[in-house]
Amino acid sequence: MKKSDGHPVLSALWLLAVITLAYGLVIFFLVVEETYTILVTLMVILFLGYFVRRVESLRRWLQSLVEAHKKLAIGWILFLLILLPILLGSNPYVIHIVFSAGLYAILALGLNFQLGSTNVVNFATAASYGIGAYTSALLAVHLGWSFWIVLPISGIVSAFFGFLLGLPTMKTKTYYLSLVTIAFGLIVYLFLNNLSWTGGPNGIGGIPFPSIGSFSLGSSWTLFGLTIPFQANFYYLTLILVVLSYVVAQRIHDSKLGLAWNAIRNDEIAAECQGIDVTRNKIMAFCVDAFFGGVAGTVYAFNVSFISPENFTFMVSVTVVTMVIVGGMDNVPGVIFGALLMTLIPEKFQAFQSYRLWLFGLIILLMLFLQPKGLFPQKIRRYD
Amino acid sequence: MVERDDHPLLVTEGLSISFGGLRAVDGVDSFIRKGETLGLIGPNGSGKSTFFNLISGIYRPSSGKFVFEGENLVGFKPFEIARKGIARTFQNNRLFLDLSVLDNIVIGMYQKQKATLWQTLFRYRRTKQELSRTASEAAALLNFFSQDLCEDRYKRVSDLAHADRKRVEICRALASDPKLLLLDEPSAGMSPKETEDLMKDIRKIGEKMEGISLIIIEHDMRVIETVAGRVIVFNYGRKIAEGTFSEISKNPAVLEAYLGEESTDVAA
Repeated sequence: MKKSDGHPVLSALWLLAVITLAYGLVIFFLVVEETYTILVTLMVILFLGYFVRRVESLRRWLQSLVEAHKKLAIGWILFLLILLPILLGSNPYVIHIVFSAGLYAILALGLNFQLGSTNVVNFATAASYGIGAYTSALLAVHLGWSFWIVLPISGIVSAFFGFLLGLPTMKTKTYYLSLVTIAFGLIVYLFLNNLSWTGGPNGIGGIPFPSIGSFSLGSSWTLFGLTIPFQANFYYLTLILVVLSYVVAQRIHDSKLGLAWNAIRNDEIAAECQGIDVTRNKIMAFCVDAFFGGVAGTVYAFNVSFISPENFTFMVSVTVVTMVIVGGMDNVPGVIFGALLMTLIPEKFQAFQSYRLWLFGLIILLMLFLQPKGLFPQKIRRYD
Repeated sequence: MVERDDHPLLVTEGLSISFGGLRAVDGVDSFIRKGETLGLIGPNGSGKSTFFNLISGIYRPSSGKFVFEGENLVGFKPFEIARKGIARTFQNNRLFLDLSVLDNIVIGMYQKQKATLWQTLFRYRRTKQELSRTASEAAALLNFFSQDLCEDRYKRVSDLAHADRKRVEICRALASDPKLLLLDEPSAGMSPKETEDLMKDIRKIGEKMEGISLIIIEHDMRVIETVAGRVIVFNYGRKIAEGTFSEISKNPAVLEAYLGEESTDVAA
């Protein structure tokens, strides 16, 4: 498999150049504001992606580069990601949308355990997201608890609600299961809207910014005379969480649990006959998904400092489902890619704001016709 | 009547199930010894597959019981029964189609993998070692039955031919080191040549797993004649005959059950 073409230093340089080129294109896409330039940049990116995919020799070459210098590639990508807010320092809005793309990536990774791995079509992502946000907001505002304590707690609370949702849905399958999850999402929304202690439709405000020691994540800082806006702090926080989620998701995917979920996705009865406790494993998927949702919700609440039920509508769930479908069912990097794509593209086409839903629908239709398994379908697991 | 020894592996007593008014399996008393291969035959709709579904826990019997290694397993869930050591294949393949051949076998070894979620997250190296150990064990199992299949282990099962899929399903069932293996019409849809290979494979099962017991449902009487030491005949959910192949092929009740369809096959 491994083809050592040419000098190792040369191939390493090629790899860095390719990654940097892709990075440069994405940055350009993020900063340009004129609609036609955005459109042309997007077309160029999509075309290059398609080109790499179609031209077998080019793809092989890139794969061999990555295989030869895997650690270098990861390190370089991380370095460039850390550099991102510094390059975009003068543009806090763009940093903010990359931040929210990261939050969606966490939500999508969570949902992937169900939708991608297990084929449980759960439309209650907004519910676990909202439960996480409200739990952390209530604890922070009323009890003054710090973000760092509240973060795991709201993940666990959310996972518990995922468990509660999981129990009754075990009686149902396919469409009926999805209906139960939709109902759950609506119930959570209605409760948030009508309970007095959640602030009803007015929501909860005055959530403090998280802080590390005396440094508040809500304050900007300077680096070599450059002012780095506070949005960068949240960007870094989310970057860490996305990397952690990625590692967790990939490990679970490659483990016995990931295999059991895939077995359930294919055939529940056959899975059960291999000694797999289908009910337990499915509920586990609900819990892990909700945990991710709760964590993302907490970061969201502490970023915007004001939350209301309108942030956690059915539309959020649908968006996250779309991300998993577009990115690739049960392909962990693919799911992250889908989340970035489906957040950044609509944000960049604000000019077409009124056609946004229309655009979403079009993308889903095109995907289901052309690439029903997503841009990056699940890869076959390798053991050697 | 066939003599039953003191410690049979599996015993069914009055095992029955009704669907509405239909008694699909009706008061079946049977047993299987350790290391024995038992043939299960009967006309279509006589309750053979339902019998399998009962002892693998997919259906719950309406009355009667089945005792495996001295323990009554009525009311146990399929995954619990699988963990006790009863594995099975299905009449129509039920493989994990979008996964690789190797993944199917590794899932068959689910019970052997001990890693918990906690270990997966925080002791990943050990989990990974366990998984690659399991995978090489799985590859060895495939290799024992067919070298070609072992070479194709990274292919998706959906890309395999019918006979190979059947073989993968048998390997998957064997992967858990079961004490009792239920084969539901393994030769269905196979050419005569493929059926020959299948019979070799079935004999290989005994070599690979010493002391394993087999119950095999078949319509192809050559297979039954070759592999089964004892045969049970079902008709309308009841056991109508039991004995060696030559005994039951002369049994008038059996001939009558098959009359008009496969009487010549049985008599042959």
